[in-house]
Amino acid sequence: MTGWGLALTYARRELRGGVKGFRIFLACLFLGVAVIAAVGSLSSAIVGGLARDARSILGGDISVRQIHQPISPEQLTWLKTEGASVSEIIEMRAMAIRPDDGRRNLVQLKAAGDTYPLVGTLTFSEQLPGSVFAVTDGVVGAAVEKSLATRLDLKLGDKLKVGEAAVEVRALIEKEPDRAVSAIDFGPRLMIGMAGIAQTDLLQPGSLAEFHYKVTLKPGDSIANFRARLLAAFPDPQWRVRDLSQASPQIERFVERIGLFLTLVGLTALLVGGVGVGNAVGSYLNGKTTTIATWKALGAPAGLIFKTYLMLVMAMALIGTLGGTLLGSLAPFAVEAFFGAILPVPIAASFYAVPLLSSLAFGILTALAFSLWPLGRAREVPAAALFRDVVAPRGGRPRWTYLAGIAVTSILLAGLAIVGADRQDLAAWFVGGVIGSFLLFRIAARGLMALAKWIGESRLNPRLRLALANLHRPGAPTGSMVLSLGLGLTVLVTVALLEGNLNNQVAERLPERAPSFFFIDIQSTQVAEFDELVKATPGQSDLQRTPTLRGRIVRVNDTPSDQVKTTGDQGWVLDSDRGLTYAAEPPPGAKIVAGQWWAPDYSGPPLIAFESRAAAGLGVGIGDTLTVNVLGREVTGKIAVLREIEWGSLALNFAIVFSPGLLDKAPHTHIATVHVPPAQEDKLLRAVTDRFPNITAVRVQDALDAATEVLEGIAAAARAVTLLTLSVGTLVLAGAMLAGHQRRVYDAVVLKVLGATRRDIASAFLLEYGLLGLGTALVAAAVGITASWAVTVFLMRAQWVFLPGTVLVTILICLVLTLGIGFAGTWRALGQKAAPLLRNA
Amino acid sequence: MIELRNVHVKLASAAGEVNILRGIDLSVGAGESVGVVGPSGAGKSTMMMVIGGLERASSGSVTVAGADLTGLNEDKLALWRRDAVGIVFQAFRLVPTMTALENVAVPLELAGRRDAFERAAVALQDVGLGHRLDHYPEQLSGGEQQRVALARAFVIRPKLLIADEPTGNLDGTTGKQIIELMFKMKEEAGTTLLLITHDPALAQRCDRVVRIADGQLSALGAAA
Repeated sequence: MTGWGLALTYARRELRGGVKGFRIFLACLFLGVAVIAAVGSLSSAIVGGLARDARSILGGDISVRQIHQPISPEQLTWLKTEGASVSEIIEMRAMAIRPDDGRRNLVQLKAAGDTYPLVGTLTFSEQLPGSVFAVTDGVVGAAVEKSLATRLDLKLGDKLKVGEAAVEVRALIEKEPDRAVSAIDFGPRLMIGMAGIAQTDLLQPGSLAEFHYKVTLKPGDSIANFRARLLAAFPDPQWRVRDLSQASPQIERFVERIGLFLTLVGLTALLVGGVGVGNAVGSYLNGKTTTIATWKALGAPAGLIFKTYLMLVMAMALIGTLGGTLLGSLAPFAVEAFFGAILPVPIAASFYAVPLLSSLAFGILTALAFSLWPLGRAREVPAAALFRDVVAPRGGRPRWTYLAGIAVTSILLAGLAIVGADRQDLAAWFVGGVIGSFLLFRIAARGLMALAKWIGESRLNPRLRLALANLHRPGAPTGSMVLSLGLGLTVLVTVALLEGNLNNQVAERLPERAPSFFFIDIQSTQVAEFDELVKATPGQSDLQRTPTLRGRIVRVNDTPSDQVKTTGDQGWVLDSDRGLTYAAEPPPGAKIVAGQWWAPDYSGPPLIAFESRAAAGLGVGIGDTLTVNVLGREVTGKIAVLREIEWGSLALNFAIVFSPGLLDKAPHTHIATVHVPPAQEDKLLRAVTDRFPNITAVRVQDALDAATEVLEGIAAAARAVTLLTLSVGTLVLAGAMLAGHQRRVYDAVVLKVLGATRRDIASAFLLEYGLLGLGTALVAAAVGITASWAVTVFLMRAQWVFLPGTVLVTILICLVLTLGIGFAGTWRALGQKAAPLLRNA
Repeated sequence: MIELRNVHVKLASAAGEVNILRGIDLSVGAGESVGVVGPSGAGKSTMMMVIGGLERASSGSVTVAGADLTGLNEDKLALWRRDAVGIVFQAFRLVPTMTALENVAVPLELAGRRDAFERAAVALQDVGLGHRLDHYPEQLSGGEQQRVALARAFVIRPKLLIADEPTGNLDGTTGKQIIELMFKMKEEAGTTLLLITHDPALAQRCDRVVRIADGQLSALGAAA
């Protein structure tokens, strides 16, 4: 029989001894892999659902969108001729007002033509008899989302005012097939027919209205062909074209980003579990010393010993990994079954190969990386061990070949984490952080042991001295306990502080500085009266009003925007239409980092003030040019100023500001922000929207509340995964305690013989665990605080706040865990009878 | 068969270097039986380990069954041991997850013998355990376990048998039975025997008795 064949035979025979020694091993792998598989499968299921429903979400095969004005009749004719069918839709924000009591709400107004929807079905949960959208006796029929009906106490038949139009609620929307999926929703849907939009009088020059044209293709045509023909027919359009592959890019990016974060946290759980795996394998092999030595005495080569136990360990790893992967793979089905009806995103529950194979690979590589060390050491068990009592576990490193194997496996693990991420830079930072944490906790453990030894040399209370001695004696599991518990706690502290800082930012700091309202679609003819009305509101301050219109960057210098490579996270600036403005003077508090603002009376060729990070992302600077398509016309401006913008303040800011002289001649509207005391908000809202039905008001607090809700959802998911990491850490702690149990029993028995009371022994053991817990918690708190600071300041670019309560709670959790486990172990040890042990000794 | 010349063994310990064997000279002929006696800690086990290739001599020459052990690396020693040496321990040292048959077959499996299990079955019958082939060590009495160990040691027809207190964990009657069996098998195979024992009567059964004390060897002469 060959070496591997004989090793397999011996491994199978060794398994007859049962898998009792592998319970913690299996549990650690199972949990860690299950998290990664679940997160990956769920992300894929959501992205898969978005792809499955893409045609429905998009509203057709192709979607053409233009802002401010409809496409030309020639363009519309072309679409109708080349496509199988076309549906016309107009979307904009508006205010819906109850004429009876004046209550009002921001709505997402949608006017749809007769052919809508081309794909899917618009369904109502309730409706009045007759046509929902017809204009009858000057009253526009409308369907509303249930949330609007709830907010304004609407029943079927109730009346609303939208712009200048009288609107009757004739139906409640159950399902709108092409409702855009987004992370944050600002206003419920109010849908009318195309005939009703004119009644509203909301379509003014420069209004922020989106004109959508959904097209289905003729049989035999393809998206690529259609787009090519469209581009050939209209080479310089101002519209944006999307097809099925881009049905919901923002939510996809959002899901992928959250998925990446949760996967990385899950990977931390698996790595913490890896420590448990290493401990379990080490403990198992320590118990096999006699068997290994016997084999060697009988003539087994050391390599055979290694192969035998490697196969056994990897067989266990496969069981744990497969089990975890199977459980994780069921996540999409479970989520769809229990939450499918209330989730805002579609889920295509299925088994997704890539995340499942990834989780398998993660599990196997982790098991291998953490098992090679004890396997390598077991290989070196001398046959002479049969003749000599092994007083203390063998120390020392395994051979360099095994160290190299550990290094290679670890590199593969890191590589898998980085390559599989959509933000590889973030994943690389995470990997670096984990490696750093491992080293840091190893050093911290050694420091704790050295400190325990140093303090223990003093004349102390005997219980304390025993506790300290147990921390640094040969074979003490201090190192692995500090590492496993410390990593889990670090993740908990980091996530808790990040959540606390985000909440602090959104719920407390932002509202202090943010305006009370954004008013949009203010016509140029209305500005003077608008300003007067707002300024008359008691307590108002900080009124800022800026002209605005939408445009899209089509060229950067001479390069078309679709060929520009962006760096970092700055692709957004080329993605879609952007808000543009013009100004003679820099905005109040503008932070100019390069260049010089133009003179107030400047009237030369267009100049641009550009946001500095976006400029860096595009690789442009002072003197470079941007060409923007505005209302079908291309405008090229030279970058004269780079400015840093603090987007988090929610103040009125634009990434692109033109010098006056060109855009002011185009049809445009104004946008304004103002701060008023909360008691005046309703009054101002009513005053403005009553006087100017075309102006839409966005209450900032509503937006912050919506953002908070989303953050809470993300935080809950993060907390769940983090607690799982902590659970794995606790398992490892319990495993280390179990592994040391016999020694603890022996210590307890000998101490009893020497006259120690049970209280003496229990105090010593509990002190030991308490010191271990406190030391670990302090290091974890320090690392977690540093990590949360770095993420908040450098990634989120926000101000970091220290939250002592959060850190204290985490330290307490650690103490409770270690003392609880210590108490359980002590109770068992004290319960053992002395006689049997003394007789055998 | 065995030639030790000025063998020293020094081992490192936490308290510094310890001289375990201090200039051992020993010659044993093929087929001879030698009893090794001495107080605890004298170096008996260490000398046996040097002869069995389980411990390296710090200096001196060690030739056993025609092989110069000082020039062999760990794996070569293991292979040599597989084919030439049988060892019987006080604590039996059977692999707990293997049956009696599988335990006896191990040296033959290691050697790649296709008839490993057939020969192991014969070896177990020879020691009177033909009806216990599929029993695990925990299902066997102490005496039965030691018989399995004897079968395992002799299944390769070793040139040398090392027995370290083989009756130390057995009662008197069982111990006698094991000793009779061991000597019988030794004679049948023509094996050289080194027997560590605290039992003077047992030592006297050997052709010769040597005494180790404080790391040095002294011969007590031929057994009466």
